[in-house]
Amino acid sequence: MMTTWVFRLARASAIVGGLVLCAITLLSVASITGRALNGFGLGPVPGDFELVEAGTGVAVFLFLPWTYLRGGHATVDLLYNHLPAAMRKAVTLASDVLMLLLWLVLTWRLWAGMWEKREYLETTFILQMPVWWAYALCVVGAVIGCLAYLTKTLIELGLARYPHGWPVPTAGVH
Amino acid sequence: MTGIELAAWSFPVLLGLIFIRVPIGLAMALCGLVGAYWIYGTPVPLLNQLKQVTFTTFSNYNLSVIPLFLLMGQFAALGGLSRSLFKAAEAWIGHYKGGVAMAAVGACAGFGAICGSSLATAATMGQVALPELRRAGYSGALSTACLAAGGTLGILIPPSVVLVIYAILTEQNIAKLFLAAFIPGILAAIGYIIVISIYVRLKPDSAGRMEPVPMRERWQALAGTWPVIVIFLAVVGGIYSGIFTPTEGAAVGAFGTGLAAWLAGGLNAKTLREAIYGTAIATGMIFMIVLGAGLYNTFLALSQLPQELAQWVIGQGLSPWLVLTLILVIYLLLGCVMDSLSMILLTIPIFFPMIMGLDFGLTPEETAIWFGILVLIVVEVGLITPPVGMNLFVINNLARDVPIVHTYRGVTPFVISDLVRTAILAAVPGITLVALRLTA
Amino acid sequence: QQITLRVHHFLPAQANVPRLAIEPWAKKIEAESGGRIKVQIFPAMQMGGSPAQLFDQARDGVADVTWTVLGYTPGRFPKMEVFELPFLTPSGERAGEITSRAAWEYAQRFAADEFKDVKLIAVHTHGPGLFHTKQPITGLESVRGMKIRGGTRIVNNMLVKLGATPVGMPVPQVTEALSKGVLDGTTIPWEVGPSLRVHELVKNHTTFAGDRALYNMAFAFSMNKAKYESLPPDLKKVIDDNAGAETSALFGKAMDEGDKAGRDIALKAGNKITQLDLAETQRWLRTASSVEDDWVKEVRGKGIDGAQLIKEASRSKRATRSPSSIWLKPSAGCAPRPASRTIGSKRCAARGSMVRN
Ligand code: NA
Ligand code: NA
Repeated sequence: MMTTWVFRLARASAIVGGLVLCAITLLSVASITGRALNGFGLGPVPGDFELVEAGTGVAVFLFLPWTYLRGGHATVDLLYNHLPAAMRKAVTLASDVLMLLLWLVLTWRLWAGMWEKREYLETTFILQMPVWWAYALCVVGAVIGCLAYLTKTLIELGLARYPHGWPVPTAGVH
Repeated sequence: MTGIELAAWSFPVLLGLIFIRVPIGLAMALCGLVGAYWIYGTPVPLLNQLKQVTFTTFSNYNLSVIPLFLLMGQFAALGGLSRSLFKAAEAWIGHYKGGVAMAAVGACAGFGAICGSSLATAATMGQVALPELRRAGYSGALSTACLAAGGTLGILIPPSVVLVIYAILTEQNIAKLFLAAFIPGILAAIGYIIVISIYVRLKPDSAGRMEPVPMRERWQALAGTWPVIVIFLAVVGGIYSGIFTPTEGAAVGAFGTGLAAWLAGGLNAKTLREAIYGTAIATGMIFMIVLGAGLYNTFLALSQLPQELAQWVIGQGLSPWLVLTLILVIYLLLGCVMDSLSMILLTIPIFFPMIMGLDFGLTPEETAIWFGILVLIVVEVGLITPPVGMNLFVINNLARDVPIVHTYRGVTPFVISDLVRTAILAAVPGITLVALRLTA
Repeated sequence: QQITLRVHHFLPAQANVPRLAIEPWAKKIEAESGGRIKVQIFPAMQMGGSPAQLFDQARDGVADVTWTVLGYTPGRFPKMEVFELPFLTPSGERAGEITSRAAWEYAQRFAADEFKDVKLIAVHTHGPGLFHTKQPITGLESVRGMKIRGGTRIVNNMLVKLGATPVGMPVPQVTEALSKGVLDGTTIPWEVGPSLRVHELVKNHTTFAGDRALYNMAFAFSMNKAKYESLPPDLKKVIDDNAGAETSALFGKAMDEGDKAGRDIALKAGNKITQLDLAETQRWLRTASSVEDDWVKEVRGKGIDGAQLIKEASRSKRATRSPSSIWLKPSAGCAPRPASRTIGSKRCAARGSMVRN
């Protein structure tokens, strides 16, 4: 079933993002340790700042699909609960479609941005690592995001169903 | 329609979208993109801007502190640090009238010192302390209310995600904001403890009694909290005193709590996965709002509304204190229905230039820091004000047998203590700034 | 009808260049257009994005005019990068103005393709870049193991060769990083110092003998091409009249003024300004020339004749410099001598003095 596959992909993506975050943690600790032991010929990890920056960007892109499938985005129920059922359904569907559209545009532009960075041969400051590498990893997260939003929209349209045995989105973190 | 009119109209539209449950980040992004498109008259600049803006927003070095603080909170819970804090507090003061509730507030303050998020603090301490409170005979209203209020200490006491965002928006020093937040955070905890002691005197049946714990066990329980103390000193002490940047501090915190969790046997493949899911969902939520707010604020800047409004307010010659009061009241009202991060991201670009243009008899940096702490407090009140108070929902969700209305009622005196504290800190900037002035 | 020009940049409105160059430029445009052009200035990245995006924002019409540091996108402007090379740009009180005029000429003649997507209004540099460190720098050996924020990619390359640890961080972080152990020093021109409170955090500032600066950086003030094309001829002329070498010099002068103020503040704070003597400077030049060689090799990969560009960049300056220059390549004149700061040849050491306060 396609939906199961997308849920599994989004969850795996979150795990990879989490591992990137753990790597950032270890990198920073190693850098601080190296700096503290400066006198012993050690030093901070070269390019630690730019690695933390790129790593955070990649992790966030990898986290977002799972946030969405778990209904983790911040919402306010103030008027929603007073709407008629049909309106509620319409609002939910519209949100899903708009989210899908927004991410399709963002992913398309991120892709274009990646090519531009590649074309201009832009690099980071210290490691002189091509900037487009980080963009490419982010594109992966963004594409998984598009799949997740598409799946959610299809479910909302009744064209697909929540995969069996997977947690249904919580009511939204307010 | 001029840009300013357009921006003025965009507020009701945005709030309308948010209130019918369009995700906040999405609503802000859409309003921002549509508004900017309107002003530009062509989609080309926007499409070009989007080539880089998502990546540069998410890979901002200052923001990288946020997922790390969230991961740190997850690990702290896995390591049982929340439990050891509560046990220690309970051992020392649990036998007093209302003591278990006070212990819960104290433990929240302790957990707040190693966790940057209110929701995480409320959820974690709720899981630990709620069953104990009920077992000790505390009423549903008081049990849930003291934990919901205590949870706000997660963000009032540094480290604090909201302060990080404020620091970035206003280009202030994160370490100084953390230092300034410390005394108001402690005052908040003291205020909540005073509320509890009055509460249990007015409603004696809302609290049970506990047997005093022998002195030896008290010291043992206190000794069990050493990882919390070490990690707090390392993180906040390290950030302020000189060893590392806030992001590095958060990394040290995540590493330290992760190590503590592993040593306590709480960290394995399964719990690590759960910790990552929790971090992922919260991080995704925050960054979606940050992205949306960035797009919306670009539109606002293009419209010139913030600049013109600040000019207008300054030109009116209103009393600075009146303007400050109005702004704080707006935050309190917005806080009834919105979450803290969205509120700050949405309003600081408008309110901050206004405040900085007024004379409170402080240096610009002092004004910025003092205003930041006041904003922090009033937006956090929003977490415990009905009808939409996130901490209320989190705690109430843990206590299935307590109707939400009881929680609403129980939290009222805590909200009053918040308001009193806000008034005092607004009237006497010196309380907030004393720590800064002493270390300058 | 009224035309609005949106000018976007990354510094607070009260910083030197926004105050002394961008605002006067805007006022002049408004006046000369008879009020038909209205300039809206958005300081401190108010319109969104990051400083590294500013050039593209002008290219893409996100803003109409942007002011940016070309080195914020390493690799993107390889020909303009020549100004970042160590000991290539002049030092001295009017260095910013002189180098900025030269940078404009150079950009027109040799790097026009890098700016083909925008209407260039000014290209300029800052004043001489120098070291600001907690521990004094007395020679090459002093920087070994120091954690230093290098302003540009090239400076970072040089720091690596010197045995220092380059730390790549955004400028606003420098204050915090210096106040902690994260940085031991930074390379910036004097102009940036006061806003980062560098003079409070470090006590030593180090410059070099000779008439060349440790490093420099190129900036561009560029306008969206389509916006320019959309103007009626007389307004185009207003823009043209306020673009070019003179406008570039205006930015360079703002830098010079900022440098003077920054240096005075450091002196007033009782800081030590050391100028390394010529003998010691020669040793740095050797490292510098290997950085230069690497750069030439590197840009060759992009089909650029780096050696030629270095020659042109140096020549375009020679025209404006006094003929009595004692600038010498390491191989000629003052013979490179072993690390001896105290001795040094008398003729060469003549300029090596210590400024104290
Ligand atoms: Na906290
Ligand atoms: Na609320």
